This record gives sequence, structure tokens and C-alpha cells, in this order.
Amino acid sequence: MSEIVRQPFDMAKMKAQQEDELFYFVEQNPEAAERITAPRYSYWASVFRIFFHKKSNIVALTILAIVLLMSFIYPFIAPYDPMGHLRDGIANLSPSEAINKLGFSMEWILGTGVWGNSIFYGIWTSARISLTLSLICAAINMSLGIIIGAVWGYNKAVDSVLNVIYNIIANVPYILLISVLVYVIGSGFGSFVFALTITGWLGIAYFMRTQVLIIRDREYNLASRCLGTPMLRIVTKNVLPYLTSVIVTLLASEIPSYISMEVYLTYLGIGMAADIPSLGHMIGDAQAAWILYPWAFWSPVAISSIITIILYVVGQNLADASDPRSHMK
Amino acid sequence: MKKYLLKRILFSIFSLVVVTGTVMLLVYTLLNRELLFMGDDNYTTKLKESDKQNYAYSQYYEYGYVDYVTFPSWLQQQIDPSSQEYVDAVKTVQEQNVSDEYPRTEYAITFANTYKAKGYQVMWLKARSNRRGLICSGYFIAVKDRNVFERLGTYFGNFFSFDTMWSVKDPNLADSDRYVRWEWDPYSNMPALVGNGTFHRYLIYFDNQFPFVHQNIISLNMGKSKQSEGQDTSELLTMRTGDAVMEQTVLPKDLYTENPPLEESNLDFHTVTYSANVSSYYYDIYGEGNHYVNATLKKNGFTRIGNSFVIGIIATIGAYILGLPIGLWMARKKDKLPDKIGNLYIIFIMAVPSLAYIYMFAAIGMSAFNLPIKWALATIPATAFILPIISLMLPSAGGLMRWIRRYIIDQENADYVKFARSQGLTEREIFSKHIFRNAMIFIVHSIPADILVSLVGAIVTERVYGVPGVGGLLTDAIDTHDNGVIIAATVFYTFLSILALLLGDLLLAKYDPRVSFTNERG
Repeated sequence: MSEIVRQPFDMAKMKAQQEDELFYFVEQNPEAAERITAPRYSYWASVFRIFFHKKSNIVALTILAIVLLMSFIYPFIAPYDPMGHLRDGIANLSPSEAINKLGFSMEWILGTGVWGNSIFYGIWTSARISLTLSLICAAINMSLGIIIGAVWGYNKAVDSVLNVIYNIIANVPYILLISVLVYVIGSGFGSFVFALTITGWLGIAYFMRTQVLIIRDREYNLASRCLGTPMLRIVTKNVLPYLTSVIVTLLASEIPSYISMEVYLTYLGIGMAADIPSLGHMIGDAQAAWILYPWAFWSPVAISSIITIILYVVGQNLADASDPRSHMK
Repeated sequence: MKKYLLKRILFSIFSLVVVTGTVMLLVYTLLNRELLFMGDDNYTTKLKESDKQNYAYSQYYEYGYVDYVTFPSWLQQQIDPSSQEYVDAVKTVQEQNVSDEYPRTEYAITFANTYKAKGYQVMWLKARSNRRGLICSGYFIAVKDRNVFERLGTYFGNFFSFDTMWSVKDPNLADSDRYVRWEWDPYSNMPALVGNGTFHRYLIYFDNQFPFVHQNIISLNMGKSKQSEGQDTSELLTMRTGDAVMEQTVLPKDLYTENPPLEESNLDFHTVTYSANVSSYYYDIYGEGNHYVNATLKKNGFTRIGNSFVIGIIATIGAYILGLPIGLWMARKKDKLPDKIGNLYIIFIMAVPSLAYIYMFAAIGMSAFNLPIKWALATIPATAFILPIISLMLPSAGGLMRWIRRYIIDQENADYVKFARSQGLTEREIFSKHIFRNAMIFIVHSIPADILVSLVGAIVTERVYGVPGVGGLLTDAIDTHDNGVIIAATVFYTFLSILALLLGDLLLAKYDPRVSFTNERG
């Protein structure tokens, strides 16, 4: 301002100059007129940027990858047979005894079990079964729970019916339902999944219903409804994306919980059939003599703990990263 | 409030019945009935042909699968069982083997028609004999499968049974001899309500065993257990554990004599029950003519449910004493070292299978502190309680820490806290009067559940340490195909969890005046 004042005042010259510099004619372009300039933002890219920003997550993810690879590929390289080594003198060996007796190989680095079976092979094969079980159960329960929960939160008729069902089922201890079901329908892999999922989705659906109810009547949804957006579009475009971080949090605790559940139920003798190698069976078989033969007991315990902790930690951190509020810097 | 409560209670009863019905439907219809005979020598080896069939039906009846009437029992109500007519009719049924569908007697035809009209299936399981005599006897029976509604009706209809002076149906006991009255009880030196003609002799009595006052007037019929010889599940729960104790006591035969002598006995004479025919074997202790016999052993342990409750309740209290302050501390030191350590612990408890850390606690307790890890059957030292309690307490303290921390941190960022601060309240005041009280609202709701859960017992903890508690009730019943106990456990667990939710809501409403269950605006 002051510089302008100091110059000799020449109104006409200045005007011409300014107009030359500042204004120019543009062609009318309707497409460009619609564009709003804002910094580029991709939700999932930001999620992963935040997630990988933390060094500990990369470590956890590496361990998870190793565990997954070992569980899903290793059993094919080294097939596990629980009764395969049934011969004298090699039952219940500690790692050093086993290596002395049978020579060094990956098979014996964790010793042998009750039937002379390799514990190292056993834990990976069992982990594969347990992981498969938990992934299938989590997939079924989460998808049923989210879909039904979303409908439950929106539809009055569905709400009244499901509320009664929920109030009845919520009264029953989960463990009771599962054990009675497994008792009645048998204990194969399929029926175990069935028992875990028949009512498992209900709790998730109820949780989702509450979340949907909370944001259903927010102003932006009311506005959307006033503008005539169909219900399905509101649910899928407005409501569910808002709940992504909640869903990931839920998933982070769901997946490990099925592994724990399997271990727990099988230990109690109401889990999967005895011929399906699972972490629960390995722990259950070894627990009677857990002081005498600690390796056979603690190895499956350790692997199930590692899997559940890693899944939990990775899941929780992913959930933190998936909260859009953490994307702002 | 009253209206809400009434509605709530009615709905709770409704859900209890629905759940029980569903489990009954699952257990009694979808499951193979023959599982009932697993490990039953009578069925698998001893009995043959008609004997075996009849035994199967009588067992199905005993465990509630079917309604079952035998011809002799029906005939007894029609004619005098000592008459020749009765003897002949029963004999025909038991020994004849002809190709007819029913025995050719007038009474048998009537029996068949009566029960067929009621929807029963009438069967004549025929006798078989060789030259030396009968191989197996004949049975004429009527059987009908029970449906779920009937089964539910009978179950809840007979759920409570009352012991009155008319309970015992013994023609030899004159009506004038029946009574219920207060008497001086020489075993406890206190008054006791005793009865004659009642099933239990002592209806209300006191002794030195927890809970000190005992009653036998109302008893629960929760369902018969197959495994423990037809005992009721409620007896299974309240069974005493531990070793029998010898004590100097007055024997029942000397009870009404002057200066009764004291003798050694390990029986608890408060538990005597009526028996119509007492064998002479009992005269030594109970005296001739005394119908109240069959006392149970006096034991030094708690009852099974008592064991679970003592462990559970101490663990719950301990978890609150430990978890609340640590949770508060973590919230105050958010993102500092105590919070980080606490969070690691919480992740450990949340993620690791419960089985794993229970064994870890056991291993540490055994090697570092030399604590007993197995409940031996001989006298149980008080130290045996320590590890089960710790194994229950530490995980639930972890859960509490997690929630308390979460709630406190949420409350600290609330607007009312900023307002209170701007008004010049001290941090201490803000914390104790505002933040803490508000955060506790969420905790209060789960207190009744935590207490009631200790009645159910901790399945894994009890199994690991071999505690004779009630935690294994359901899983043991499933292992042994004990359907009666499975139903009983369903009712027991469901009842407790309904009660816990209800009490939790009521406590919440009491603690937080903003919570109201009515639609009125205050």
C-alpha cells in the first residue's frame, strides 16, 4: 500500500496495467466449473499410511505373516501325523533328548508328544485348523452381524422382533449354548462352526444396531433423506463408512476370540472331534502331565498366545488407523 | 417403576421357559436316546430281549423321555392286588407267548383300549421260555413320547416340592401320629422344627456349618442326574465335600432316654429321611421302630457350590480392590510408564486364551511360592484356595482396569469437567465428586453379575486345580450324557444371568438418578 502511494499517481496508466496483468478471458468450460479443488484424499491410502508409519506395526505384521505362512504352507511341506511315530521310547521327549535320540531335524526341535508325535509339526498343523476356524467364524458372524444389524437399526418391524429374540438369547450364557449345540449336533469342523455362528452374530448385530441408531438421525442423514436418497444408499454410503473404524475394532477382538474359544472348549472336552488336530487338542492332551513334560504343553500354549496377541495388536492398531479423525495432521 | 419391574420379571420368566424349552427340544429330540445307556451294564450285557426292552422304556420314563404305564400297576388300581383274579391276569401277561397282539384277558383288552384312546402305544413284550423255565419275562406296557410342552409343564410344575406332614404315604403311619412342631434339638442345643410324616425329620435346624440355618421344607426338583444314581441336581450342587469327621454325639436310638450316652459317629443326624421299611441293620444306630434313617456323612469341607462361591467371591472382591485403583492410576498417568505397563497386561489378558494364563499362574505359584496346585482329597489346607483365587482375580482385575481407565479418560474430556475447572474447583474435588462418580456408573452395572457368576463356578480354574466345585456341572454332564443335569444347568445358569442383569439395572437406577425405567419425566 505504502509503495503505491510513493509512486507518482497516474490513474489511467495503473488501471490499464492492472487489467492487463490480472484479468484475462477464458473460454466457458462447464466441466471445469464443476470441479472443486481440494487436497487429494483417499481413505484407505491414509489408513495404511498411518498404520505403516508406526514401526512396531511393521514388526507385528512381519510376525503375523510368518505365522500365517508357517500355518498355511508348512503343513504341506511337513505333513503332521499325530499317531505316525507310534514306536517305543520316543514318547514325551524334551527337545535335547529328541535331537540326541533321533538326530537333528526341524521335526524334533520342540520334542515329542504323548504318542511320539512331533510337536513342532503339530503346532503348525493345529494352528492352521484353529486359524481357519476363527477366520471362517469371524467372516460369517461379522457379515451376518453387520447386515442384520444395519437392517435392525433401520426397520421398526425387524427391530421389535429381533429385540425379543435378543433379550431371550442374551440371557443365556454363550458357553451353555455352544456346548449344548456341540453336544447335540456332533463335533465335526462344520458343526463346530455352526455352533459358534448360530447365535454368535446376534451380539455383533445388536452392537451394530445401537451404532446405527446413534448416527441414523444425525443431521447429514436427515438432509440426505429429505433430498430423497433411497434407504439402501443411505445405509451403504452414509452410515456404514462412518462405522468402519468401529467394525475394524470389533473384528480385531473377534478373530482371536474364536481361537481362544476353540482352545477353551476343546480343553473342556466339548470342542472339535479328537481326530481333528487343533491347538485345543494339543493343549488338552498335554495338560495332564504339564509339570513332567513342559515342552508338549507350553509349545501349543505359546503359539496360540502369540497368534492371538499378534492378531489383537495388529487389529487394534488398524482400527486406530481406520478412524478418519486420526488422519488429520 | 413397579409396572416396569413386573413387566420385566414376567418377560424374564418367559425367556427362562423359552430357553429351557429350546434346550429340552434339542436334547430330547435331536439326540440319540441310546446314549442314555452308555456304560450301563444292565442294558449292554445283563438283560436280554423283552427284559431289555422293558428296561429301556422304564429308563426312558425315569429320565423323562416318555410316559410309561405297566399293566400290573394299572390293574392294582382297578382290583385288589391280593385277589386271584389279579394274580392270574398278571401271570398271563408275564408268561404267555401267543401270536396275538394283546394277551387274551378281559382286563388286558380294557387296558389296551384305555391307553390307546389316550394316544399311547400299547406293547406286549412277550416272554420266552425253554424247558427249564422263563428266559425272559413278559411285559404289557403303554408308552407315549412326551412332547416339549408336556415336558416343560411337568418340569416347572414339579419344580418346587414342599415337605408337609402328609408327605409320607405310608398306610402304617396313623394320621394322629403325624405332626410338625418345634422341639429342642440335642445336636445343636437350639430349637428345631421337626416333623413326623414329613419326608425329612428336621425341617428347620441350626448347626455350625455354613450357612448355619438349614431348611428342608422347600426343595427344588431341578432334574435327576443319571450319573449319580438318580440324585437330584440340587442335591448334587449342595453335596458336601471333604473328609468325614468323627464326633462325639448322641445316637438317635438314645434320643428320648434320660442321660443319653455320647458315642463316636460320623453321621449328620439332621439329614435323616423317612423310610417305610427299615432294615434291622439300622437298629444299632437309629433304634427299632424309628423310621427316620439314612443320615449322610458329616464332612469337613464346604458344599460344592460353597467351594465355588468362596473362591469366586473372594476373587471378585480382590479384583475390585486391585483393578479399581490401578485403573484410576493408569488413567491419571495416561501415556506414561504405568499406563503402558498396564496396557501390556490388559492386552495379555484380553488376547491370550484363559487356559494359558491360568496354567502360568499355577506354574509360578508352584515354583516360586511352593503353593499346592492340586486339591488333594484329604484335609484341604487353606493355602489350596490361594492359587484358584489368584487365577480368577488377576484376569478379572485386568478387565476392570481396562474399563475404568477407558471411562475415566472419556469423562476427563467431557465439557462438564472443563466447566468445573473454569469455576475454580480443585483437581481433587473434580476427580472425586465428578469424574469418579460418573465413571463408576458403568462399573456399578456389572457388580451383581460378578457376584452371581461366582455361584456358577469357574470351569477351567476348577478343573486345573481339581477343586470340587460346581463349575464342571455342565461339561461333566455333557461328557456323561446326563440329560437331566444339562437341563438343570440350563435353568440354573439362565436364572442367574437373568437375575444378574435385572439387579444390575436396578442398582444402576439406584446409583444414577438420571436413569429411569419409566417414561415419566421427572
